[in-house]
Amino acid sequence: MGLLSLVWAFFKIGIVSFGGGWTIVGLIKAETVPRWIGEADFSSLVAIAQATPGPVALNAATMVGWRSFGLLGAAAATVSVLAFPALAIALAGAIGKRVKLDEAALKESLRTGTLAMMLMTLWFLMPKGGIDPLLAILGGLSFALVAFTKVNPLWAIFGAAAINALRSLLGL
Amino acid sequence: MRNVAERDLAKTPSPGSLFGVFFWISAVTVGGGYAMVPVFESALEKRGWIDEKEFYELFATAQSFPGPLAFTTAIVVGKRLCGRLGAWAAAVGVVVPPFLAIILVGALIGRFGELPAVQAFLDGAGATVPGLVAAMIWKMAKGRAWGLRKVLSTLALAACLILAPKASLPVFLAGIAILYATERRWAS
Repeated sequence: MGLLSLVWAFFKIGIVSFGGGWTIVGLIKAETVPRWIGEADFSSLVAIAQATPGPVALNAATMVGWRSFGLLGAAAATVSVLAFPALAIALAGAIGKRVKLDEAALKESLRTGTLAMMLMTLWFLMPKGGIDPLLAILGGLSFALVAFTKVNPLWAIFGAAAINALRSLLGL
Repeated sequence: MRNVAERDLAKTPSPGSLFGVFFWISAVTVGGGYAMVPVFESALEKRGWIDEKEFYELFATAQSFPGPLAFTTAIVVGKRLCGRLGAWAAAVGVVVPPFLAIILVGALIGRFGELPAVQAFLDGAGATVPGLVAAMIWKMAKGRAWGLRKVLSTLALAACLILAPKASLPVFLAGIAILYATERRWAS
């Protein structure tokens, strides 16, 4: 039963995954924390998902599936999150001929919708309650680095990870 | 737009070679869809399978579907280059390498995740995630022509999604439908 509800959760997530992967990371969190994965674990896993080859949302789905149901869960979550997008493309040819959509209006609406989903993602990823001051600084620095320079976000991820690991090794 | 039958047959890839190209790129490109798509383009163009203009037309089509960009682009391009089998070959090629990478990383974390230094490494990586998302929102918002109507509709939809995350599917679809209707009325 648990595996079936995981499949259903990721199938639903796949339907709204417009605008690339990051839009649905918040939704993945809302659907899977704390049921299948812990709050603190989730953010680290997302960072790893971004730093591993492959689309971030797909990687996050695989990771949550792997954590909760092993290899079978990983495969099930991956296939479910991709099921609707694949179906939509396969069926688009048939439906597209009958329904005439105003493309410019649809694109503009989807842009608004994508931005709203990103705000939702940000809301759910923001640490709730107390946060370690060093981690807060590293989060703020990574925002500035990616928003205002052309530095690859991977440097921010690995840099912050290395700094915090160093702190732990030095026992500070 | 041309279809498969009208293409130069000498430059039509086999499903196997299509799978190989997408598999290889997916395995070595880190950073998600936006990082991968230009690499797909140059690899396919170099082999003479597609030109830049046609590729980005297909990419625009892929963007109008839900799903990870690398995945939808692979399906649409694969289908154009060698039919339904091509779509499958490209899609599976894109999905398998990250799947294996995640299993590997997941197993490593399962094994070493309890060590304090590894835990601190993961916490440090996780701390950047809200910052990265905020930076992406900043970049997306900067490129838009904002008016009062757009600001309010974006914030209203975001508020509904945050208040009812379990109902995000109907909320999102209803939101898009309403936006679409007002967008058309506004335009006419």
